[in-house]
Amino acid sequence: MYLTREQERMLNGEFGWVVAKAMSIIVKTGEALGATKLVEVAHAHVSGVSYSNILDPGLEFIRSLLLGGGRARVYTTVNPGCVDYSGLSELIDGSYARKQAVIDDSLIKMGFKPVFTCIPYYHRPPAQGEFLAWGESSAVAVANSVFGASTNREGGPLALASALTGFTYYAGLHVPGNRVARVLVHVKDPRVRGNPGALGLWLGYRVREIPLVRGAGQGLADLKIMLAASAASGSHALVVLEGVTPRGFYSTDFVDRVEVEWGDVEEYIGTEPGGGSVLGYLGCPHLYPWEFLEVYRQVVKRGVLPRDRRLLITIPVEVFEKHYSEVLRLRRLGVDVAAGTCPVVSRLTRVFDHLVTNSGKAVFYLSKQLKANYYLTNTLGVIRAVYGERAG
Amino acid sequence: MRERVRVLVDGDCRAPLRVYNDYISFFGEVDPATGTLKAVGEQIAGVALAFRGGRGSTVGSYVIYALKYYGREPSCMLVEEPEPIIITGCIMADIPLFQVRKGFLEEVGSKRAVLVHEKGRDYVELHFE
Repeated sequence: MYLTREQERMLNGEFGWVVAKAMSIIVKTGEALGATKLVEVAHAHVSGVSYSNILDPGLEFIRSLLLGGGRARVYTTVNPGCVDYSGLSELIDGSYARKQAVIDDSLIKMGFKPVFTCIPYYHRPPAQGEFLAWGESSAVAVANSVFGASTNREGGPLALASALTGFTYYAGLHVPGNRVARVLVHVKDPRVRGNPGALGLWLGYRVREIPLVRGAGQGLADLKIMLAASAASGSHALVVLEGVTPRGFYSTDFVDRVEVEWGDVEEYIGTEPGGGSVLGYLGCPHLYPWEFLEVYRQVVKRGVLPRDRRLLITIPVEVFEKHYSEVLRLRRLGVDVAAGTCPVVSRLTRVFDHLVTNSGKAVFYLSKQLKANYYLTNTLGVIRAVYGERAG
Repeated sequence: MRERVRVLVDGDCRAPLRVYNDYISFFGEVDPATGTLKAVGEQIAGVALAFRGGRGSTVGSYVIYALKYYGREPSCMLVEEPEPIIITGCIMADIPLFQVRKGFLEEVGSKRAVLVHEKGRDYVELHFE
């Protein structure tokens, strides 16, 4: 691989062992993927910061980088941790708080911005064509597919290494020739479009190559749900969205065309809850302020939640700070709002018989973990289900 | 049988081959503390783990690193489709990683074999039982 003099000096340890280690992770990963050079990134987003996911090995690794003198060389944001930073949630287990605090302290002292969210594009929307090094598979898919920026699905440590060096390897989706959609996926049925979580799961399970999706809708709220699900069940880092993905940042060469019908996605939606306890969940990926306020309006309109039904909403820390009074009002109605975390990267304090959510990604990770039945619907469907209203 | 591979992370490996003909999200599908592949309830510690490639969460690299930390890591891994999450995890954990040609997993299937790779070579040897 070609390295500039500065990059070589970094790799050789002239900037300390942390930079050398970070550089070596990037160079070796890049070489394995056929990269011939490194490029500067505009924004690193570090995933793999939740103690309940990375445990002591990850904690010690991150801590050692701080103690070794590691500092951010580029704008860097941080994924959710495993504790609720509002301190108000009853459903998110706070027992790892001290371990998480060690991780957070390390990240903050290295100069990373402690946004604790999986939607870093809320804090800094990427520019078209910009090089990024992002972990968090859902954010990667949104950056490539919606914003027309370029990032590979970096593992957590690699995004961290990019934060400490300012570089990533030039391969994969950074190379225009690899951003080619091969499968045309046509969504005609409005029921399919209306359940982006299920559509995303289908895309991830059934389509292996880069798809171009026609007719998926244009709203960012639904698109991020669909992209998150397809990145969880498959490995999609780029899903070309007709009418959304900026032209010039992808090309097409179709080898296959399919139409997704309701019958295809139906197997992913689970069953509507009957009796028993129900957990409604919204906020995977985290909600934008405007999404949160829409949910707030829908809930306030309906009043106190029925017995044995809870609704959990997860939002970025900043949205909590801006809408503190709304969070308190929701709490009085039985709604649990957690900031800077989510059930995928933490543990819940209690079990439920049924999980109802709009997130295919949450279903992918939580249905096994919680051993609960699940029902995958859209945002309004979740609110209706927790209030025991009939669908339709 | 000798099989040419593309060496992604080099290192010696001698271990029983275990073929899992699917993609793996190390986060969620593998328990790092016990080295269990949850979908099949089998141990991956100390085996040459061959699978199609990675999927799912970007936390996967840390799970591979944690497998090593707890001493439950595979002796080496073979994938048909390499991707950054697994490569970075193997580099951090110093687990040899090889890319095999498409169709290799199906050919070998459930046959019992011991896989041997010597550092510096561009192939692996399979000794069938």
